[in-house]
Amino acid sequence: MVARKKHYRPPGKKKEGNAARYVTRSQALKQLQVTLGFFRRLSILKGIFPREPKKKFKGNNHTYYHLKDVAFLQHEPLLEKFREKRSYEKKIKKAEAKKNTALATLLRTREPTYKLDRLVRERYPKFVDVLRDLDDCLTMVHLFAALPAVERAKIDVELIHRCRRLSHEWQAYVSRTYKLRKVFVSVKGLYYQAEIEGQKITWLTPHAVQQVLPDDVNYSVMLTFLEFYETLLGFVNFRLYHSINVKYPPILDPQLEALASDLYALSRYIASNSKTSTLEPKAASSSTSEQVEDREKEMQANESELRLAQLQHQLPSNEPGALMHLMEDAEGENEDDQDTKDCKRLFKNMKFFLGREVPRESLLFVIPAFGGVVSWDGEAAPYKEGDQSITHQIVDRPTQGHKYLSREYVQPQWIYDCINARIILPTEAYMVGRIPPPHLSPFVDNEAEGYVPDYAETIKRLQAAARNEVLPMPGVGKEDLDDPQNLLVEGYISRAEANEAAETKQKMAALEKQYHEELQIELQGAVMKKSKQGSAEDAKASEESVPDPKQIAEDIDRMAKVGMSRKKKGLFEAIEKRKERNTARVNKLKERKKKLESSEN
Amino acid sequence: MRLPLYSLGLTPSLPCKVPASVSRERKEIFRERGRRDNGGRKKESFEVEKKKKTSKKIQATRKEKLNTEESLLHLKQEDTATDYKEFSENYKSAGESEAGNSESSGDEGIHNTGSNEGLANEAQSEDSEPDQGAEESDSSEDEVTPRNTVGDVPLEWYKDEKHIGYDFAGKKIKRKERQDKLDSFLANVDDSKNWRKIYDEYNDEEVELTKEETKVIRRMLKGKAPHAEFDPYAPYVDWFKWEDAKHPLSNAPEPKSRFIPSKSEAKKVLRLVRAIRKGLIKFDKPKEEPRFYMLWGDDASSSEKTGHLSYIPAPKPNLPGHEESYNPSLEYIPTQEEINSYQLMYEEDRPKFIPKRFTSLRSVPAYENAVKDSFERCLDLYLCPRVRKKRINIDPESLKPKLPSRKDLRPYPATCYLEYKGHKGAVMSISTEASGQWIASGSSDGTVRLWEVETCRCIRVWEFSEAVQYVAWNPLPELPILAVSVGQDVFLLNTGLGNEEIQRKVKELLHVETPTAPDDSGSKGWSWLQDGEHEGIRLRHFKSVYSVEWHRKGDYFSTVMPADILFFHCHLIVAILIHQLSKKFTQRHPFKLHGLPVSAVFHPTRSIFFVSTKKNVRVYDLLKQKLIKKLETGLREVSSIAIHPAGDNVIVGSREGKLCWFDMDLSSKPYKVLNCHPKDITNVAFHRSYPLFASCSDDCTAYVFHGTVYSDLNQNPLIVPLEILRGHAGSNGRGVLDCKFHPRQPWLFTAGADSLIKLYCH
Repeated sequence: MVARKKHYRPPGKKKEGNAARYVTRSQALKQLQVTLGFFRRLSILKGIFPREPKKKFKGNNHTYYHLKDVAFLQHEPLLEKFREKRSYEKKIKKAEAKKNTALATLLRTREPTYKLDRLVRERYPKFVDVLRDLDDCLTMVHLFAALPAVERAKIDVELIHRCRRLSHEWQAYVSRTYKLRKVFVSVKGLYYQAEIEGQKITWLTPHAVQQVLPDDVNYSVMLTFLEFYETLLGFVNFRLYHSINVKYPPILDPQLEALASDLYALSRYIASNSKTSTLEPKAASSSTSEQVEDREKEMQANESELRLAQLQHQLPSNEPGALMHLMEDAEGENEDDQDTKDCKRLFKNMKFFLGREVPRESLLFVIPAFGGVVSWDGEAAPYKEGDQSITHQIVDRPTQGHKYLSREYVQPQWIYDCINARIILPTEAYMVGRIPPPHLSPFVDNEAEGYVPDYAETIKRLQAAARNEVLPMPGVGKEDLDDPQNLLVEGYISRAEANEAAETKQKMAALEKQYHEELQIELQGAVMKKSKQGSAEDAKASEESVPDPKQIAEDIDRMAKVGMSRKKKGLFEAIEKRKERNTARVNKLKERKKKLESSEN
Repeated sequence: MRLPLYSLGLTPSLPCKVPASVSRERKEIFRERGRRDNGGRKKESFEVEKKKKTSKKIQATRKEKLNTEESLLHLKQEDTATDYKEFSENYKSAGESEAGNSESSGDEGIHNTGSNEGLANEAQSEDSEPDQGAEESDSSEDEVTPRNTVGDVPLEWYKDEKHIGYDFAGKKIKRKERQDKLDSFLANVDDSKNWRKIYDEYNDEEVELTKEETKVIRRMLKGKAPHAEFDPYAPYVDWFKWEDAKHPLSNAPEPKSRFIPSKSEAKKVLRLVRAIRKGLIKFDKPKEEPRFYMLWGDDASSSEKTGHLSYIPAPKPNLPGHEESYNPSLEYIPTQEEINSYQLMYEEDRPKFIPKRFTSLRSVPAYENAVKDSFERCLDLYLCPRVRKKRINIDPESLKPKLPSRKDLRPYPATCYLEYKGHKGAVMSISTEASGQWIASGSSDGTVRLWEVETCRCIRVWEFSEAVQYVAWNPLPELPILAVSVGQDVFLLNTGLGNEEIQRKVKELLHVETPTAPDDSGSKGWSWLQDGEHEGIRLRHFKSVYSVEWHRKGDYFSTVMPADILFFHCHLIVAILIHQLSKKFTQRHPFKLHGLPVSAVFHPTRSIFFVSTKKNVRVYDLLKQKLIKKLETGLREVSSIAIHPAGDNVIVGSREGKLCWFDMDLSSKPYKVLNCHPKDITNVAFHRSYPLFASCSDDCTAYVFHGTVYSDLNQNPLIVPLEILRGHAGSNGRGVLDCKFHPRQPWLFTAGADSLIKLYCH
């Protein structure tokens, strides 16, 4: 079936080596007897990718597929399904051309369908494999959840709704199980990183504004990917929901759904479901019996089936207190690792309220994921702005007119920075109308990068101070703790300062030590050089003086390089180049900073 | 202008008055039914008859009244205080518009009657008793017969007449004197009931509307039925007796189609049946399976190995750094100049992402490349070949070869010890005397100087007219002869060293008889001449000589003339000559060279001759007169060659700064290539006794290497770079031009383009 070879090979002798193991793409098409579009679709769904043979027997500008991969495609039942589908489409077309609309509609209702379940299982035999590869899937689904439906690109409304649904389900799981670790607001969107079963999963969601669809993009390719990703994420969600004892295709409150607060609805659903499964159903029903009655009345009013279903699932009451109870209940289960516990505790006992202008979906996802309680300005919110127990209000406007004295008004960046630093940062810098301090990426290892921004250092200091606070304080008794807060705060600050001082002292000592060592080395070096000179004649020209130690080092370097093989030299140079690039980048940053500082002064 | 009365609904006394539309509907129902049950029930004629009558009845006067009334009402509503003229104008126009309306409704009536004609005719014979009273009442007993009998003619015809028509008696009815405008206006003002009065043009009289009539008009204006008692939505009472009727409605025989089954229906049914049989239509809906289920229930079962190739997971996209933040630190934001300078860069070097700063989260816009980035990632996923690559995380220091300690390899020249000053131009060449007491140097200023090594004293200076290319001592210590190449000449100079016996011998040797046949020498291209000026021999060549090398026995020496293409094509391909000093005899190098000769060296122990061309080194056996070996350097342009004193190893320096070490026993390819100099290597040299060799280059440095050659053939030579010697300054792009080792000590002499000679000692 493989295309006949062109050059002569003695009869009975088989192809050998790369030529026998690999085929080019066009050869693969011939073998599979499919069009390029089919092939693409199939290889995307099957996860087949080109491979790099050691020797490219047809030249560099070909893509090579392994023969086994092609055979793998050939035995795929989906291939037959696609062919069937295409011939069926021809039938419809024919019926339409003959104006036989009855037949056409009849045929339309019975179009052959296919499922990708088997493919998911085949590509990812273990659940951990999926989690490892989930990044692209999540990014894509979240992107499409934010896109507008466009007829011309064949992006229909249902697809977008499905994507939205899937993404919310995922977020609800992550939020509920406190698996979120890092959040980063970039120009490109919001990056989230969760850790599930030891796998770090990072995904990007676009900002909640109208997205633009460029023309120079092949949407059919993206939709093929999305088709697979949708199935994949559905199964992943199923498995994850199953792991926390929640029935998977969640049934949501239609009222909340209509108000586009799916996420909240979902989280409530999960909470209620897991609760009923862990607690006795009787207790749950008694706690919410009043609510149930209310609901019954409502239900009679609009007679929706969904509501009935909800009733069966014992949705919690609308009041925030119920949610709080649930949180406490969840805390009972002590199976989480340390990290999860930390995350759970971050916003504990804090109550947030979101203004209209802040990115609601993101914050609704993020704050509960770190143990906070949140409400928003709008219908179906768990509590209103006037609630006295609110501790923080998230606003993003130049000025805030009416202010409650009992709460703090902060910009949304505060939340994200707190999460990344894992401590509650002081809110002064994030007040309404101020330009917040720089938002730093949690994905960067500052030390390895070689440049630490100022704010990163500030955060580090605060973290150290916070850690100290957690430690038992010997001097402070219980009475002191009861004292007015400012005393505590003072103590806290002074402690932080002391800590800082100690740190700087240590640093200084280290520096001093290093300096001494260097001095010694230098001295030794000088002595050595002198002895060398002494052995040589005194007539040595004075103009040459002491040879530069740098020069010597360089010479040694160069001489070492002379002996290297070409391959090693290439590698060495590449490493050097990279180092150089890094240092250049860091130097540039430092230079810019210096310039900025000088311009400020 | 006449309308059927019922259409305006102005018959208040009618007990069951039906609007036209309603009656029409009813009629249609009748027709339907009649068709359905052809049972000869034709009693509906009463209805039709009634229609006919009413349509025929023309209640002109009443009608007129109504019209005027209506328009008046309009007027009153708008404003009452208008002058008479305006009033009359409005009056006219209102009348006209009203006429239009009534015409349309009149049409309807006519249409109705027309459609029912046939039925009516049929029904004529039938008695319609029960409804008779109602029919009669429809013609309204309270109706006043019109005074005028002109009938339905346009009133314009009587416009200019004194009369308006004729009464029943046929007498003219006189036109009444019209009230003039002022009077009518006054009457209007005086009489509050005046607005009810309407002028009837047809009968030429004023009619006063009653209260009831105005009410009716008001209701009509609102679009309601004229009578308050009338209920348009009254439940339909089917008072037609369908059963037990004696006579059928229609006489027509029932059509056949009523008795036989419909063909088209049968077709439709057949189609459905077929579709059901084929399974195209299914009645029981397929049970909806849950779309998602537990796919990874038990991971244990899935651990079996799959038959196909290993899956290579795609690399994850890079995580964002600080600069991608919506609010990065200020130092991450490039200045405007930097952004401008990006435009000058190549497209692939240009940074893909330029950091931006937004002061608040609400001002962050949508990322314009969001979809595109995602798409590109998709392309990467399915189009890029994936290879599993090991990420090497090695310390660059570990890549450097382990060299033996340099201290163990001492002695070697390391520091500059002496400088020989005196030349005015670049020192082109130096040569050490066999005993190591003297060195000679030739410079581009046209002098050859003789130095004492240890004192740096210049013993003697010879001056020539041209730049000195090359100097070479005779390797025999008892023959202190210096060969100097200057332009086209090679001078063999008596240095005047040594005792008298030696001097005598040298002088004897350097004596040439006067040429017997000068023309002969010219044809050969060389000539031996006595040089009186420098007390030596002048060996004239046809071309400038590049280098002179002595044979180890001191009798023979070779000269190389860098032949260019021109000479190469001539018959005089004699780029390399071998001269015999004792016989004053010169011979050509007997082999054909493939390439331009660069230098030629004698083997230090055997009678083997090395000629290096630009690419290769050819090794000839001079006794057997044949080519032994060809060493392929792989270099672009060989500049110099040196032979190890044992004779089995050769180093070749090239103009691209590479140094090749050949092991003659091993292979014709270089054993090792040392890429040490960034610029041309000008010369390479071996030490005669120490395991040292050196290279000097135009980059003003000289390298000293350790090069041990083991007698054991299985062991490869050990090459270790030892020292980089600096000190010379470059001039005109040239650096160190020559280097020579001291014959006994591990010292190195270097000659620089800065007119200095340096001695490096250990």
